[in-house]
Amino acid sequence: MRIHHNLKALCNKIKLKKWQLPLTLVFLISGILLVSVLRSLAASNQTPWRQKNENLVAMIQTQERIIKRLEAEIEEKRASLARSQEALAAGEAELQNLQNKLRELKVQAGLVEVEGPGIVVFLDDNRKGAEAAQAKNPGQFQAEDFLIHDKHILYIINELRVGGAEAISVNDQRIVTSSDIRCVGPMILVNTTRLAPPYVVKAIGNPDSLARVLEAPESEYNILKMAGFPVNLEKHPNIVIPPYKGSYQFTFTQPKEE
Amino acid sequence: MWLPLLGLLIGIGIGSALAFPIPGAYVKYLSVAVLAALDSAFGGLRAILEEKFDSAVLLTGFFTNALLAALLAYLGDRLGVDLYLAAVFVFGVRLFQNLAIIRREVLAAWLRKRHLTSPGGGKNG
Repeated sequence: MRIHHNLKALCNKIKLKKWQLPLTLVFLISGILLVSVLRSLAASNQTPWRQKNENLVAMIQTQERIIKRLEAEIEEKRASLARSQEALAAGEAELQNLQNKLRELKVQAGLVEVEGPGIVVFLDDNRKGAEAAQAKNPGQFQAEDFLIHDKHILYIINELRVGGAEAISVNDQRIVTSSDIRCVGPMILVNTTRLAPPYVVKAIGNPDSLARVLEAPESEYNILKMAGFPVNLEKHPNIVIPPYKGSYQFTFTQPKEE
Repeated sequence: MWLPLLGLLIGIGIGSALAFPIPGAYVKYLSVAVLAALDSAFGGLRAILEEKFDSAVLLTGFFTNALLAALLAYLGDRLGVDLYLAAVFVFGVRLFQNLAIIRREVLAAWLRKRHLTSPGGGKNG
């Protein structure tokens, strides 16, 4: 009661209402406590919400690490893919090269249809000459003197080769390295295919030089022409020669080591 | 009215200046004590407005409430029950009540001042 009395006296002395001092004290202590709590909460990381935050932050950081790792992986995969593609492209280029070479070799081997300028030679048996000879001198008549023989074709092909023919066909039978030309009675066998007259020999090459070789005085073509066979030749700006349809089978031949 | 506000400001200043570290385990008790202090402060304001202020009631209420709340929190910790929530709940409710009454009183006083009468304020706030 004495304190109360003194307080009252003090209040009266400095003209304070009786509630102001205690309330001030309460507010003062409240302020101190409030700030202390807030400060300690701010300083510590132990509050639940902060912990939750930290958990979330840790989760996010983990995820970010994973993302970073995955991104690195993607980058590496992309680089590897690019490397593979480059290698593939290099392989493709090589393949392209090989295919080009193969195409070239096929052309040379006569396995593809080819076209170009050249000449066409028509050859037929000398039927008129045969009839005339038989009528004139039946005793001395020899029928084979008036036929186109395998050797005629062979010689003409040789002459065409001399003239620089790059592709030759007889009645659409392509003449290749292994082609055979032989006589089988009234017919000729080329590439084991029977051909009958008239024979059409096509050759791709310089038409002028081909014609010059064929029309030379000592050539087989010229001899046939002189003998009265119905032969003629035509220069042509574009001749199409079909491919060789047979097979190349080597049973005994082995490439020799160099 | 300015003196309690000044007290609050000084208290904040002292609290900032002191900065004594409170161990994490005791922050809970202190939080409850803060609630008790705030409850007492608003209770005091309310008492003034209702003109039944008693400094002895205010001061004893302030300290016993704060101590009791802290004790409750401690007991809760010992028992493994969050008993401090009871203090938080009670003080929370009382804070709202006190604030509501203060608001009505201030409003009524303001209306009286403007000669608009209706003392006691509306009961529908």
